[in-house]
Amino acid sequence: MVDVCIIGSGAGGSPIAYELANAGFSVVVLEKGKDYTESDFNKDEIAVCRRDMFTPPLWEQKHIIKEYNDDGTFTRYDGEESGWNFWNGSMVGGSSNLMSGYFHRMKPNDFRLKSVYGEIKGANVVDWPLNYEELEPYYAKVEQVVGVSGKVVKHKFQEPRSTANFPYPPLQTNGATKWYDKACETLGYDVMPTPRAILSENALHRKGCFYSNFCGSYGCASGAKGSGRAALLQKCQAKIITDVFVYKLESDDKRVTQAYYYTTDGIRDSIRAKIFVLSAQAIESSRLLLNSKNRYFPNGLANSSGELGKNLIFSAGGSGRGRFVFEKLTKTQQKELMQVGVFFNRSLQDWYEFTQDAKKYKGGTIDFLFEHQNIIPRAMQEVYDSDGNLLWGEALAKNIYKRITTSRVLTFEVFNDWLPTDRCFVSVDEKVKDKYGVPVGVINLYGHPQDLKVGEYLAKKAVKLLEELGCEEIESSISSSPPPNLVAGGCRFGTDAKTSVLDKNCKAHDLENLYVADASFMPTGGSVPYTWTIYANSFRVADVIKERLQTFI
Amino acid sequence: MEKFSRRKFLLAGFLSSAVFLMDGCSLFGVTTPIDTIAILQHDLFPQASELGIVTAPYMHIIFHQSHISKSDKVFIKNGVKWLNEEAIKTYKITYTKLSFEKRQKILQTIAKTQWGENFLYDIMGYMFEAMLGDPIYGGNNNEAGWKWLAFHGGRPRPKEAFL
Repeated sequence: MVDVCIIGSGAGGSPIAYELANAGFSVVVLEKGKDYTESDFNKDEIAVCRRDMFTPPLWEQKHIIKEYNDDGTFTRYDGEESGWNFWNGSMVGGSSNLMSGYFHRMKPNDFRLKSVYGEIKGANVVDWPLNYEELEPYYAKVEQVVGVSGKVVKHKFQEPRSTANFPYPPLQTNGATKWYDKACETLGYDVMPTPRAILSENALHRKGCFYSNFCGSYGCASGAKGSGRAALLQKCQAKIITDVFVYKLESDDKRVTQAYYYTTDGIRDSIRAKIFVLSAQAIESSRLLLNSKNRYFPNGLANSSGELGKNLIFSAGGSGRGRFVFEKLTKTQQKELMQVGVFFNRSLQDWYEFTQDAKKYKGGTIDFLFEHQNIIPRAMQEVYDSDGNLLWGEALAKNIYKRITTSRVLTFEVFNDWLPTDRCFVSVDEKVKDKYGVPVGVINLYGHPQDLKVGEYLAKKAVKLLEELGCEEIESSISSSPPPNLVAGGCRFGTDAKTSVLDKNCKAHDLENLYVADASFMPTGGSVPYTWTIYANSFRVADVIKERLQTFI
Repeated sequence: MEKFSRRKFLLAGFLSSAVFLMDGCSLFGVTTPIDTIAILQHDLFPQASELGIVTAPYMHIIFHQSHISKSDKVFIKNGVKWLNEEAIKTYKITYTKLSFEKRQKILQTIAKTQWGENFLYDIMGYMFEAMLGDPIYGGNNNEAGWKWLAFHGGRPRPKEAFL
């Protein structure tokens, strides 16, 4: 029997493997995907982005999606038939390998949304059982261990920090950021360099960024990106078993006893451990627990509260874009604009909280970045004319050439709270099974109207900035469409075992030795990407488990 | 060596296999997906040939990529069949044997249908993959597609094509 068995090796599982293995405990990590090293990663757009090589084909493994309609019904989508894909990265280190690494901390008020902003009709907003001050040392630890680069600047909503600055200087940026900074000054916006989980220089036995121009969606060949694999798993002796799918956790009335898994050959095996940590990403963690129901837990493992799978959240908001065109730029500016490889790295948090119609709202974050450099979708964007008719031949060639060689698109992404509701949750399908014969997860989707209202408010601020920058073809889209890579909830933590699945330490209320350490624990998500908070919380949970292993077992 | 030969045989199989073309209820003739796709892609983007890029052979890879669904592959083959049948219906001759002008008219007709729009969109997607994807896939000859757009492909480059 090993000390700790971790299911899933992403941002939730990897800090725990790192901490406990380095403390001398025997740790086994079960990972559905394959293992890679820096030398395996390349910038093959066809393989990585067109064929999704790091996620399972949907005809082998999929989800059922049920979207809530205003009349109270749900529209059902089969993931395979619709192509609606909620997989993010089945590989050692999980989707942290493929992230862009936009790293923002949650802010003190994010931990007490209900107390600060009050009840919201139709939403299940609660305060966290943890406050910012308790998590801050772990945010700081992530900066050091995983590596965060950037520059702390004073602004209205800058969260308190135990250190003055990030440990690594900002990454190099494109010359167009000067225009951005000037536009912000004109509009009275605070310029904020975006912190990134990317090393700007050689450190931590990893290489600094190569500025390959292809970061998000791709594995990092330099090791600069702070994936759970590069930053943590490659630096500990945890045993990682790859290509195995955990389909059931067995328990008695108090403890998880075994994790059962399939190999890719369909062979069944199991492992026993003193402590089990589940970190398979929010939807799959809830699915596994629901599929692990037994006579002690007939509604799903650790589900005496009935809250398992409930209050699934995503990052609300949306995105927008504007195009810089050569006609409006000097020769020098044109050259600056087309400089590739370096980053844009600018964010706005001026409206992390705002007042509208005398009411105080929780707002969010806006990140600015250049359009992804993948060339195939940029060419394919031009195959329709302005009336929506297909173009081909000479007209298409002219459009592609002009757009790609004489203009560049600046995009923005809005992150605001996806309010937890009764209508957004994970369940399992009674009939549809994956290639292993295991019931697939059902993602029940609903976006609260306030999510859209806040998103629109923020998008307008971003659009104003694009206008000030002189961009053309400015547009934005705020919707309830869930970003599959920004998902949390389903096993919310809390102090009351009747209304939450996990306790403050992310241990299941119902079981003595089961922890859930991905984003499932989050009752609300803040208005930032989740990864930094997942990492920080897992380092915190690792400390709890370490103490338990040292003293009780 | 035997394995390689078998693979080559399979590759040749799907794209070179006969597609039976119907004129209403009667059999009109036979074509192969690769013949039609080669002409179609040239009709959609003749600039590729001008750059020294041949895109159609990349379709052999598409038909053997593990992450392309069976239904997507069947749709390509059906699209080839329906495109030719539209030509037969209009001109009593297969698409591959029509003049350039008449082929363009057929494309304009099918682009207004749902299946035709989807088919042409998919074919152009694969065509741009060949033309602008990594040269390891065989289409982007000497990085000609990238050079045309002053595009710097990502580094490191893949050492082998993804199948």
